[in-house]
Amino acid sequence: MSEINDILNRCQELYEDLSLGYVQRWKEMYGKKAVGFLPVYVPRELIRASGMLPVGIMGGGDQIEIIRGDAYFQSYICHIPRSVIEMALSGKLDCLDGMMFPSICDVIRNLSGMWQLMFPEKLSIYFDSPQNFESDTGGIFYQNELKRILDEFSKLSGITATDESLRDATALYNQNRRLTQQLYRRRADKPWEIPTSELYLLLRAGNILEVTEHNQMLERYMALASKENRKPLDNSRLVLNGSFCEQPPLGLIRALERAGGYIVDDDFVLAGRMIKSEIPLKGDPLENIVEAYLKDSKDVPFKYNIENKGDELVESFRENRADGVIFCAASFCDPGLLEQPMLQGRLDKDKIAYTSFQFAENTGQYQVIREQVGTFSDTIKLWGGQ
Amino acid sequence: MITAGIDVGSSSIKIAVMKEGELIYHHSEKLRRREPLKVITQAYSLTLKELDLKEEEIKYVATTGEAETVEFRTGHFYTMTTHARGGLFLNPEARAVVDVGALHARAVQIDERAKVLNYRMTSQCASGSGQFLENISRYLGISIEEIGSISLTSKKPEPCSSICAVLAETDAINMVSRGIKTPDIVKGIHLSIAGRLIKLLRASRAKGVVILTGGLSQDIGLVAALIELAGIDELKSGDRTYEFKTHPLGAFAGAIGAALWGAFRYEKVYRKIVA
Repeated sequence: MSEINDILNRCQELYEDLSLGYVQRWKEMYGKKAVGFLPVYVPRELIRASGMLPVGIMGGGDQIEIIRGDAYFQSYICHIPRSVIEMALSGKLDCLDGMMFPSICDVIRNLSGMWQLMFPEKLSIYFDSPQNFESDTGGIFYQNELKRILDEFSKLSGITATDESLRDATALYNQNRRLTQQLYRRRADKPWEIPTSELYLLLRAGNILEVTEHNQMLERYMALASKENRKPLDNSRLVLNGSFCEQPPLGLIRALERAGGYIVDDDFVLAGRMIKSEIPLKGDPLENIVEAYLKDSKDVPFKYNIENKGDELVESFRENRADGVIFCAASFCDPGLLEQPMLQGRLDKDKIAYTSFQFAENTGQYQVIREQVGTFSDTIKLWGGQ
Repeated sequence: MITAGIDVGSSSIKIAVMKEGELIYHHSEKLRRREPLKVITQAYSLTLKELDLKEEEIKYVATTGEAETVEFRTGHFYTMTTHARGGLFLNPEARAVVDVGALHARAVQIDERAKVLNYRMTSQCASGSGQFLENISRYLGISIEEIGSISLTSKKPEPCSSICAVLAETDAINMVSRGIKTPDIVKGIHLSIAGRLIKLLRASRAKGVVILTGGLSQDIGLVAALIELAGIDELKSGDRTYEFKTHPLGAFAGAIGAALWGAFRYEKVYRKIVA
């Protein structure tokens, strides 16, 4: 078996292991603690600088049967909180000593409240990111929020983050961001060499693995991918948007890839790509993390941005030489689905072709979606999307 | 320039080779519980051998149907796109295509360039499909090839469910036990499938000349049932009348369309590279 397959098999194992065996082994080996976080973004540097392992939790996908999770949410709520509850109640998340809930929507906010009631012995943090992006307003708020979180981490791990440990962590995650961006650029240049399903598994591995291990994995994969001699196909080039929180099942990602279009950009697993470039290492490390979020983070549906809505999507379309956009949003995702008409309006303005469909993380039937995306891809190839 | 189209259906694969817009070769192979990728590779090798062509002489290998995993393809097109092009090739007057394959049926409204304007297709249920007819013929003890001519001899067709293949099969079993004659059972099933197809056509807003493609396009019993139903006023919608046409190569429409679109893409991509 080739080395690239070994890497991908490892990623697949990590992806399928909802009981987080890697995290359990890591904790036993180092005698340290682990903190989980839900999508989309938390500054993982803080967790690492406090001597703990950050663990991204993205729901149970199509691998878990929801029995208890459904009792906590109405039928018009998305799927990811149900599977997270199911995983927690069935003991799969027991190895996590704390959990962070980013402020992306009401559902995740409510989930953080439920967590506090269900697991009072565990650390539960509602992570409130600013909606004002001025340094002297939102910046001060955000810095205070990060200080509060660092205090909580210090109590949990017994290790107080210092400027030095924050800088070290930032340097490691800078390397991770650099490698991830390199991976994305490589895929955009030669999408046949780096299939999206493989890129996706690598991103998901980054949710679990300790960052230095993930960095090595990314470097090795990229070195091997170009030697695979994969043949380019006459496919359209598509930008995928809308999967920033709940993730489509891997089978759906594979079905999309086979539908005649190369995905050349996407918003899957944003934890490692939310900050667009490297965070400066000189100066106050906390202030640098704050400024990076305020001035250099991706435009996502849970950030207040009324003036330039859709500009980043159009920019990605142009930079990646795409032919069309597919909106792939989770059913009942309020932020994603409320944002979509604004983005579509922006694409209309630039006469960019798009199609849209919805999924749930446990969607099992891909035929209709595959046919829709395939026909969209044909239309682009034959009629230029008109 | 020579291009090839490979249409992988659920019961057979079809290969068409086009040279400068003309069909120079066609071949089909039943899958019959065989590994599809193996059958495709063998059939394609046979095609090259029979045409005395080297692999590189085929400028574009276009797949369609369930062929997204064929490794030697240049590109893949979706079924309705290829049947639209293949249908127009077989009948330049066609402004709609009805593709009835082993598992799915589609009605596609097209323009004079074979651009898909609108479409409707069956979902999960196989009651409008060839597989369903094959099951029924096996139950009735007749071959799929003779089902059309038997249907034409019917005097009093027996209505059967058009909603669900399972219900329709139950209907057929009941009809046998009630002593209904085989031609009347078969014609009833043909009328049931035809009714579904006309509903798809109406929903797709198609009108005018309709070319039948896919494996069932050669079933003369189904064609007769379609013509019969299309003449009934209550099934017409406004000015939407249909003139059904068939072609002996109707089953190859997907492969032909794929090869033709492959040629189009080759020219388009090639021109871009040269520029």
